[in-house]
Amino acid sequence: MAKFQPPPVEESVSPNLIPMIDIMFLLLLFFMLGADMSQRELEEVTLPQADMVQADSNTQTGDLTTVNVHHRTDHGFKCAVADGGGVCRDESHWLMAIRGKDYTRDTLNMQLQVEATLSVEPVADPKTGKQLSARMVMIRADQNAPYGLVQKVIEACSFANIYKIQVGAAKPPKA
Amino acid sequence: MAGSQDPNENPVAINVVPMVDVIFCLCVFFMCSFKFKQLEGKFDSWLPRNKGVGGIADPSTLIEEIRVAMFWDAQNERAVRQLGQRRVDTDQELQQLLKEAHDDYVRLNKPDVPVTIDADARIPWREVVNVVNICKRDQIDKIEFAFGAPPGH
Repeated sequence: MAKFQPPPVEESVSPNLIPMIDIMFLLLLFFMLGADMSQRELEEVTLPQADMVQADSNTQTGDLTTVNVHHRTDHGFKCAVADGGGVCRDESHWLMAIRGKDYTRDTLNMQLQVEATLSVEPVADPKTGKQLSARMVMIRADQNAPYGLVQKVIEACSFANIYKIQVGAAKPPKA
Repeated sequence: MAGSQDPNENPVAINVVPMVDVIFCLCVFFMCSFKFKQLEGKFDSWLPRNKGVGGIADPSTLIEEIRVAMFWDAQNERAVRQLGQRRVDTDQELQQLLKEAHDDYVRLNKPDVPVTIDADARIPWREVVNVVNICKRDQIDKIEFAFGAPPGH
């Protein structure tokens, strides 16, 4: 008995790619809009959490200087305490940065004095006669940073006649 | 956007495969670099315009303030808080005591008496922010940070 052989069928498998493209476009749009690609003047710091913090509506950065107090993360640098998730209290391991540039205590004083002159209040303070700066300084310190470092930044602001200081904190995630 | 790929139906059929490849690559790139933005906020803490860090209080004047002292217990690796002479262990207790102290000053018609945070330099920043947060919960807006006197005073 001769084997039954079906006639060769020429199959054309051409799936409809359009719905897939539609979905991929949507995914792409979502990830593009959600991605935070802007070159911010913010370092990677874990901010302390506070539920009473005001939402940051400062979208204009014209009159704002952000001072980041962060732990050293440069290549090859090791800190057993910080790497283990502990609180590093060695001040030499911490850096103060403005727009990605690190400063020491002395250079921070100088830099803040430069920043202070960028925006000056039109009228001198009637009590002290000082020309105060209208510049705002946001201190974004890591939650584990020693308070002494934040004090240094506040002190440097005061010496530069900057009095408008903001402290950065993070909203705790909703339960 | 949906349509058939059959060239018999649509004589102007374009090859979408390279486009799909590119979109895949873009999708992978954005997925890998995707990170949820942390919701950040701020506390305003204006420095006194007429004092400055170097300003030493006149010893003859009576300082009216609610002082929260924070010490570092190196043995137990924790911050110890004190309101006046009283040691405060929990946040709820501190909030209650701050509210009572602030309300006392409000009754005396001195609502601007500040809460002064006098913290050890070794204390983690989050502990200080926690006290600021507690003050804000009590609607206390005037918060000051104490500094040690400069050398020579």
